[in-house]
Amino acid sequence: MKRIEILNFKSPNRAPLKVEGFIFGEESAGTSIAFIGSMSGDHINQLYVASGLVDYLRQKEEEGKITGKILVIPAINTYALNMGETFWPLDKTDINMMFPGYAQGETTQRIAAKLFESLQGYDYGVILEGRRDQGMCLPYVKLIQSGYEDIDSARDLGMRFIHFRPYSPIETVMLQYNWQLWGTKACSVVFGKNGTIDRVSSSEVHGALVRLMSKRGILDISAFEGYASNIIEPDDITVLKAQCAGIFDSLVGCGVAVQKGEVLGRITDALSGEKLENITAPIDGVVTCQYANPLIFQNSIAFRIASAISKR
Amino acid sequence: MGVIEEVFSIDLPVGEQFRIQRCRYTPQSGETKKRISIVSGIHGDELEGQYVCFLLGEWLRSNPEKIKATIDIYPAINSLGIDSITRSVPFYDVDLNRIFPGSKNDFLPAQIADGVVSAMSGSEIAIDIHSSNVFLREIPQVRIAKSQADTLVPLANKLNIDFVWVHDAVTVLESTFAHAMNTLGTKTLVVEMGVGMRLSKAYGHQLLDGILNLMACEGFLDIAPLEVRMPIQSEVGEVAYLNASCPGLFVPAIEHCQMIQKGEIVGEIVDPLSGQTLDEVIAPIGGILFTLRAYPIVYEGSLVGRIFGENG
Repeated sequence: MKRIEILNFKSPNRAPLKVEGFIFGEESAGTSIAFIGSMSGDHINQLYVASGLVDYLRQKEEEGKITGKILVIPAINTYALNMGETFWPLDKTDINMMFPGYAQGETTQRIAAKLFESLQGYDYGVILEGRRDQGMCLPYVKLIQSGYEDIDSARDLGMRFIHFRPYSPIETVMLQYNWQLWGTKACSVVFGKNGTIDRVSSSEVHGALVRLMSKRGILDISAFEGYASNIIEPDDITVLKAQCAGIFDSLVGCGVAVQKGEVLGRITDALSGEKLENITAPIDGVVTCQYANPLIFQNSIAFRIASAISKR
Repeated sequence: MGVIEEVFSIDLPVGEQFRIQRCRYTPQSGETKKRISIVSGIHGDELEGQYVCFLLGEWLRSNPEKIKATIDIYPAINSLGIDSITRSVPFYDVDLNRIFPGSKNDFLPAQIADGVVSAMSGSEIAIDIHSSNVFLREIPQVRIAKSQADTLVPLANKLNIDFVWVHDAVTVLESTFAHAMNTLGTKTLVVEMGVGMRLSKAYGHQLLDGILNLMACEGFLDIAPLEVRMPIQSEVGEVAYLNASCPGLFVPAIEHCQMIQKGEIVGEIVDPLSGQTLDEVIAPIGGILFTLRAYPIVYEGSLVGRIFGENG
């Protein structure tokens, strides 16, 4: 293992921002892969999985099991992680909205540029992402259709669902899109609830990353097969919104198969305690995401249910 | 007297509503479908537009007989953010101006965006007033994507602003309010002026004159056009960006909105700890310093100014 400095960025008063990477199998001429951990200060689960992966790979390297080249960068925005912020603490910009970066530009553009430079030339790339809303979700692969996406390697993760969809305009400045355009077979694994660690999801994601490396000849180990991933397109997702605001009480977990008519959650008035609403499943399917804050806004998305609608 | 209407409302969890209000002014007699929307507060830390909305409302209340069409004033789109010094949508930490046109089936910020678009669609013209953020001070200017220049530059020239900046199309800006509205056929101008969290009274009065002139020229008001200044056009010159070369405290050497010669000192970056001057920010071209940093703490890459210099 080699511990390297990806970038070192001075601050007016704080200790410098150091972004570190861990390289395994550096001398290998085999297949290469890079993993990106936490890009936001609230993506703690992603940090946890990435640092756990470093520890795992260190052991595998000692056992001589690494046959490709692996880079893991557990944390990018350590400044935010160290002070409970989500984005870059000074100007609140999101590093994952700055790609491919600009070396002569603003601070987070420069950080993105330096990071992106270090990610060039890898065959595969996996970004560990948290959510961009107040939800939590079943771990899934997010693969955007840039025209350069590679669904086969996404399948090798063996996760239950691959959300395969067109990109939105803001995703053109995010890492996955740009990494794909620059020739790396990149995808994101989205999981957990921001600001927390979910050990079950983390273990599932860790297993998926190891499986991908095993299947792609980067790790010389046998891994259990995962799921034959279901490709989920936007039309396969049913959105259940809260008609009322109040205290939200979910009765199911992510990943649970539900039946039409089943009560998934309740909302009560936050002041009077009056029972305002039962949220029921309008369709059979699997709960993939749910609202993860005890206080819910009117019309917020309480649950998302995946069903094989587009396959019918 | 204008009529105050609520155009969007969502219950918050505990005994409150998130709401967007407008004040609508209509002709004293006769019906009209002609409509203009004046918008501010998409970013909760930008308050210059609030003052312009007040000045315009004050003028319309005093001159109701001059009103020839519907004039809608929306002072506070991100009302939660404005009342809490928060740029993004609180709770979600999402920049509202990066999720347009929004959706009824997405999280709260996207529903707000959808509500804004629904309320304003059908307007012939919209003027979206932004301050700069808290970091930069700007002269009154309109920014226009090149693809919209033919339609929007003639309108912008009526607004009594100092600068019209036509820029290349950037995909991420397709998520802005202005892009969404222009796509729907509402000619939408984005004004930037002043600095975040503060009011620049003179700029407010300057833009008020411009809005009155535009409304006179476009048939919304029955008044003679005002004498307004002709803005500098970006296409006759170039914009130079001044980024900090190192972290520290930026101390400007000249006032905002001054003419500057190539090679002159714009400011210094100093180190309060050691007492050293770390760098001098030098003007790379001569011209008008139309952007100047207002918040003195800088990192490497922080924008400290912009100069517009005419060719030749």
